[in-house]
Amino acid sequence: MEIRPILSALLRNRTGAVLIALQIAVTLAVVINAAHIVKQRLDLIGRPTGMDVANIFEVHSFDFAGEFNYRERVRGDLELLRNMPGVRAATVMNQVPLSGGGSSSGYFREPEREGPEVAGNHFTVDEQAVDTLGVSLSAGRNFRLEEIDYMDLDNVDVDSVLVTAAFAERLFPDGDALGSTIYSGGGDPLTIIGIIEHMHGSWVDWEELDQVVLLPVYVEQDFVRYVVRTEPGRRDEVLGIVEQKLSELDRERAVRGVRSMEELAAESYRGDRMMAVLLTAVIFLLIAITALGIVGLASFSVKSRTKQIGTRRAIGASRFDIVRYFLVENWLITTGGVILGSVLAVAFNLWLVRTFELPKLDFIYIPLGILALWILGQLAVLGPARRAASIAPAIATRTV
Amino acid sequence: MLKMQHVSKIYRTDLVETHALRDFGVHVREGEFIAVTGPSGSGKTTFLNIAGLLETFDGGSYLLDGEDVGRLNDRRRSRVRNEKIGFIFQGFNLIPDLNVFDNVDVPLRYRGFDAAERRRRIESTLDLVGLGSRSKHIPAQLSGGQQQRVAIARALAGSPRILLADEPTGNLDSLMARQILELIEDINARGTTIVMVTHDPELARRAARSIHIIDGKVSDLEPFDPPAVAIEARASA
Ligand SMILES: Nc1ncnc2c1ncn2[C@@H]1O[C@H](COP(=O)(O)OP(=O)(O)OP(=O)(O)O)[C@@H](O)[C@H]1O
Ligand SMILES: [Mg+2]
Repeated sequence: MEIRPILSALLRNRTGAVLIALQIAVTLAVVINAAHIVKQRLDLIGRPTGMDVANIFEVHSFDFAGEFNYRERVRGDLELLRNMPGVRAATVMNQVPLSGGGSSSGYFREPEREGPEVAGNHFTVDEQAVDTLGVSLSAGRNFRLEEIDYMDLDNVDVDSVLVTAAFAERLFPDGDALGSTIYSGGGDPLTIIGIIEHMHGSWVDWEELDQVVLLPVYVEQDFVRYVVRTEPGRRDEVLGIVEQKLSELDRERAVRGVRSMEELAAESYRGDRMMAVLLTAVIFLLIAITALGIVGLASFSVKSRTKQIGTRRAIGASRFDIVRYFLVENWLITTGGVILGSVLAVAFNLWLVRTFELPKLDFIYIPLGILALWILGQLAVLGPARRAASIAPAIATRTV
Repeated sequence: MLKMQHVSKIYRTDLVETHALRDFGVHVREGEFIAVTGPSGSGKTTFLNIAGLLETFDGGSYLLDGEDVGRLNDRRRSRVRNEKIGFIFQGFNLIPDLNVFDNVDVPLRYRGFDAAERRRRIESTLDLVGLGSRSKHIPAQLSGGQQQRVAIARALAGSPRILLADEPTGNLDSLMARQILELIEDINARGTTIVMVTHDPELARRAARSIHIIDGKVSDLEPFDPPAVAIEARASA
């Protein structure tokens, strides 16, 4: 190969090459870290929720007149919802998981707030909640119909709970959670009757998102939040008519707030998604600018070396020899750039880790980034290189 | 060695067709030193470019070293240029970013010689042109005459069958021109066939044979006083 003479020619004429190499270095450093963050955000958004998010929606009923019977209201509405074609299950909940709204409290193994405390994001539900959310039990059993009590908001006090495995493991590291008793603050004992394999709670940016506690209770109030799960693919059909159907049942209240769980989750993840989109745009922009820079430098060098290229052709270079010259030259510039860029990438990451508590870079990104820039460089330089190869050998005698 | 018959070359632009060569015939024998003369625009460079396979032609036939080189593809033409032909240009055409050694090395790398063979050839041709001690200089650090010597070394390093030179002394003062001519004569004496285009009647006279081109044709007139003949030919045309 002709690496040595290409390198020495490059070093004699280095300004443009050094600038492009620096650009490549910065591109590598930024793109690698941006890709790292994008990947991390996408992983966050794509985490398994444990629920059948795609087929769940919520709808509210609000009795503004004051005069109403909560139990009749809920019994009637649930009967209607559960019998609608396409509906699989429906429940009443205080909040919808992934929506950003919810409540949590500390739970203990001992009464009177003794011993270790573990946070649980609690939801009030009925016996259809497990089926409505699409969560699965890894141990124990679901609530029974007769276990669901009616209570005031200020006076919630139940006997049994379902908890997620993550919650159970935190509070019972030895694995004996099922059947055990737990306490919420100074309240009465709660028996864990079932363990939910996995389920996300309300706040997607909460580190203990998967520590959920389900309480079997209807909280009597004028505002009722129904959560409905449809057969796969029938969500939008049911969601489109549910407001009308509930209203027809009783017009003396307001039915509104129909929103899919997907929509609620998307809103919760909006910041992460915007960050991912923004950084992806930055990545493409940087790559495009770098590619243009490479094309520009190569085009300029083809133009300013027209006579030299014609001379090389005249003394025996084939078209392929000329193309190869530019490919090798580009490869040398890119290699210089990515060596510096790798160092910059790690330094940039360390700074991000220290300043924004970002996770450390996965080192596979560096070779992948280098490979990507090598390929990018070769593709970018191919056009100018082929233009160079088409320079006529007669240029050698026709220009002075 | 080099035989052209009825060769024609037409340059077409949007506006005009230029018949740069018409019914052009020439026969150069092995070991000859031929000077090509003729007025400006008569077709000398065109002839040399076709002879050196830098350009294609439109009609006629061209045998180089017994091979019909008129219908070769680009790859084969590059190969023939690399192996059989040495080119010397009026403007030297060295690669400004490479030192003397690497400049002479350029065609040898395309040839595919190994490093030891290339080094041997580079050193011996640089010695031949008297620049053995300048191999690390870049062209800008050399005089015009020295640069042309490097170009001659580059042309010779691959042991070509024929050396083609277009006004090799055109950019040099007369002392340097004479030295370059002596070098070319010396190379010819060692057996390399040479075709040299020149404006200078004195240089032309030193060649064993001269061909005179007027309006793209080899003139029948004896070219021993080229300028006068050219003027007469113009006037009568
Ligand atoms: N690429 C081209 N396109 C169009 N016409 C051309 C081209 N190259 C040469 N010609 C024309 O062909 C004719 C012969 O040109 P050529 O360069 O062979 O002349 P020359 O004898 O070498 O002249 P000079 O002594 O000035 O170098 C000229 O009329 C020239 O204008
Ligand atoms: Mg000419």
